This record gives sequence, structure tokens and C-alpha cells, in this order.
Amino acid sequence: MGTILIVAELKDGSVREASYELAAFANKIGGDVKSLVIGSGVAGEAESFAKKGGGTVYVADDASLANYNVDGYSAAIRAAIDASGADTVLISNTPTGWDVAPRIAAALDAAFVSDVFNFEDGAYIRRVFNGKLDARVKVAGDKAVVTVQPGALPAFEGSTDGSTETLAVDTSGARAKFVETKVAEAKGVDLTKADVIISGGRGVGDPEKFTEVIQPLAEALGGAMGASRPVVDAGWLPHEYQVGSSGQVVTPKLYVACGISGAIQHLVGMKGSNFIIAINKDPDAPIFEVAQLGVVADLFEVVPALTAALAEAKG
Amino acid sequence: MKILVCMKQVPHQDARLDIDGDGTWIKEDGIKFEINSYDTFALEEALRIKDAGEAEVVVVSIGPDRVTQALRTALGMGADRAVHVNDDAVAGSDALAIAKLLAAVAKEESPDLVLMGLMSDDGNATAVAPMVAELMGIPSATGVMKAEAEGDGYRCERELEGGALEVVDLPTPCLIAVQSGLNQVRYASLKGIMAAKKKPIDTKGAGDLGLADQVGTAAAKAQIEKIYQPAKGEGAEIIEGSTDEVVSQLVGKIKELGLL
Repeated sequence: MGTILIVAELKDGSVREASYELAAFANKIGGDVKSLVIGSGVAGEAESFAKKGGGTVYVADDASLANYNVDGYSAAIRAAIDASGADTVLISNTPTGWDVAPRIAAALDAAFVSDVFNFEDGAYIRRVFNGKLDARVKVAGDKAVVTVQPGALPAFEGSTDGSTETLAVDTSGARAKFVETKVAEAKGVDLTKADVIISGGRGVGDPEKFTEVIQPLAEALGGAMGASRPVVDAGWLPHEYQVGSSGQVVTPKLYVACGISGAIQHLVGMKGSNFIIAINKDPDAPIFEVAQLGVVADLFEVVPALTAALAEAKG
Repeated sequence: MKILVCMKQVPHQDARLDIDGDGTWIKEDGIKFEINSYDTFALEEALRIKDAGEAEVVVVSIGPDRVTQALRTALGMGADRAVHVNDDAVAGSDALAIAKLLAAVAKEESPDLVLMGLMSDDGNATAVAPMVAELMGIPSATGVMKAEAEGDGYRCERELEGGALEVVDLPTPCLIAVQSGLNQVRYASLKGIMAAKKKPIDTKGAGDLGLADQVGTAAAKAQIEKIYQPAKGEGAEIIEGSTDEVVSQLVGKIKELGLL
């Protein structure tokens, strides 16, 4: 049994739910569990994490670590790996995690496995090809850095007999410099309040088709129009229409996904909808896994016909 | 000013994904490839910096002969020259080995700025960019939605969850891994495509970069044991039939939900 180091992440002064999920993941792998809490004035949070899954918690507490900084965090994580003798490092696959974790793996010449959602029979399981296939990944060598998808496992619920240890970290070599955090701007389109959302994906093909095909169905149901990330990235619709982890997280009574394959970042934003209908040509599209009702067909045949039928049904 | 853009050529997003005989990757025969979407935004960002002043844009990609097409596309869009790491021994490499090759190319080029995508559309690993920066010993930022020259470096806006942004200053030389959507990617013009034919592509092997023993399946520290279709849950109830039949069932469901 080796030693697992959990790199906890704080949000608004508290250890995130995702970090408690890492504690559950560490138990699934099996080993001596230790943790790291990084920040400024975080001794209290470190104490409580030590009792709730964290085990021995190293505390890198320094004014220079008050905000995320890739170089400062990297120095803290490497110091904790040295102090703990960890052979497996677990980090949440968040914007902080994906920024720093690969640097640690490269610095240690360690195996790196990212965005895993399970550990089974000695292998890490992760999604590839934007959610279309799964991969079992085995680690060779004596050290691994692993990032874990938030929400993949339920958070650790038990208690642990842990204590905290101060960790000295030299952050003087930091080159990246935190400036500020900008909060999300208020949205012109608030999809979170819509009862019905008709969303289009790459399969819609071009911006005009949103106006000609998707918008009329949204109007027929008194709903709003939404979109997946590739649509917004291509400039077909403004960002305020985007549903997903980097857009709006919605829970309408009815969500209709048209020409959306269902990349994980989109599913995160809409899987809590009360009822989901998916229309897609590809029967293997991951969107059908979260939908209750599916139509494997060309959206350009089904959607206009549905719009017309709804107009007729309303009289 | 020199900018190095690291690109990956990946299966087209609509390509059929059949699993290969080993069960460790997909069958690549007969499918279309394209430049990884995230990397197209990185290339566009480099070309915008070039358009705004004096900069040489060098693109590098790793992979078999087919990758030449991706490099020609990049040259057609406006990149000045290309480096192609083409070596059968590289097949089966993990992200760290790929990062070592890219960092070795970067050390030869010594760029002021390295640009690449946050992740690839096939492996989805968000791994290589920070690794390259670590191996080069330079600072990095990932998921960047905006990068502007500021003082002796770049001010970057990193995308966080829920649309928040983190602003970070990086002194050059530095590496910026862009999020998709930070710009509108141009198409190669006919003139650009013609000009690209005369632009050089320098081909290298892992041995030329001093990494012959650190690439390939045998050296991989993270090894794909197998890939497979995800376990299907209950999934959606699929409505079959003619368009009329499908529509009539959908209308029935919408009525049942009380939305009509």
C-alpha cells in the first residue's frame, strides 16, 4: 500500500465538495491518505479536513498563497510530496487542477492520468473523444499524478483521525502573478428561468439555421433558445446562450437538444432538467444517455415538422 | 518576436470511431483528420499577433505522414514555417513523452511565446501544455480566453467555472494554452494556400531530439489498456417511425408535461 496525497482546493474560504470526493477516491484506491491545504489563513479549514477524510494534513499557509498562482501552488504541492513520501497525488480536475497538475507530473517525471471518474481493478477510467468512448489507463513507474472529475464519486462521509502539520513553502521564485478574479457578467439571456429550452449544437450547421429552425420551435413552446459550446465558439450565437459548465446551468421543465452530441461539459449544464428530448443523427451520441426520449433522425426533418404540429395542436 | 504554436492532428469530430484490433485506440484507416479545434484558436491568436506587428510564427506537430496536411493548412493560414516530428517510434507515447518532444523542439527554437490549445478533441487530457512549460522552465496559463501584451509579458484571462475569469500576468518567455472560442479562426485564402507550398517543413525524429529512448508504448508511464463504448445506462426511449409518427409522439409528450 502506498501513500496518497490529496491536494484539497478551497473556494470562498472553504474546502470544496470536490476535495471530499478526492478523499472518497483515495479510499477506493487504498493506501495511507495524507492531504495538502493551500492558502492564507486556512488553519481552521485544514483542521476540519483532517477530521473528515484528509488524514494528516499539510498546511501551506502564506499570504503569497491567498490566491491561486501556478508557481506558488506548484512549489507547495512539490513540498508536500517530499514531506509525505506520496506515490500517488490526487487533484480535482478543475481550472486550478488542470493548470498545475501536469506541471507536477512533468517535474517528477511521473505518470499523469487526467479527468478520471473511477478506479477499477488497478486501472483509472476516463472518458475520451468528447464522451464517446471510455479508456482504462494503467500507471507504470513509481509515481502518478491523477486528476479526478468533480462529481464522479460521492463525497467522503466518515471521520478520520487526522492532524495538521505546517509546511514551509518557498514561493519567492513565482513568475506568474495573480492580478484579480472577475466575476461572471450578468447575462442578457437568463436561461435559468426558462421552462422550456430548445438548444442547438454543431449539427445545426450555421447561424441562419438557428433563426430558421431552432428559434421557431422555442417560440412555439414559449421557451428560450440555447446552444452548446461549439456553436458559441464558432460565433454563431453570443456566449449568453451557452448551456454547460462554462455557460449557464439550467433545469427547465423541458430541454430539447437538437444536433448536440453531448460532450461532458454540456451535459453538466443540462442533465438536471426535468425532461430531456434529444434529436440527433448519431445513435451513439452520449446525449441519448441523459435524455428520456430520443429521436435518431435528421433534425431538419423533425424540428420543423414538430413546430408545425405544435402550432396546429394549439389551434 | 518568435511564436511557437504546438498543434495536434485529431480524428474529425464527426469521424466514425471504430475500435482497433488491439482495443487500445480507434481505427485510423479511412477516416478524416483535422487540426484539433483548440489548437486552431491558438494558431489564430499567433497570427493576430503577427498581423499586429513583427513576429515569426512556427508551427510544430507530432505524428505520421498525414500530419503534413495539418501543417500545410497552418502554413496556408499564415504560419511562416513548420516542424514535423515524424517517427514511427513515437506511436503509443503518453502525454509526457509528447511534451518532452515539444519541449525539445521549443528549446531549439527558443520562442518568446508558446501557444497551444487547452486540450485535444481525442484524448481530452488537458495535459501537454503545462508539461511543456514545466520542461522548458517557463510560466504558463491554461484555459485562456484573452491574452494581451502587457509590460514585459502577457496579461491572460483564464476561464474559471460559471463564467468567472482569473487574470494573471506572465513574463515572457511563457506558454499560453487557450480555451476554445477566444477568437474567430480564419480560413486559409487561396493565395495563402499557394504561398504555403513554398514554405519549409523541417522533419525530425525522436533521435534528432535526443529522446529516442523516452517515447513510444514501452516508455509510456500512463498506458491505455483498452478503450471501449461506455457502459450504457437505461438511456433514452428511442421513438421510431416516420417523421409524422415521431412528431405525434413528441406532441403527446409535450402535452403530458403540461407545456402546451
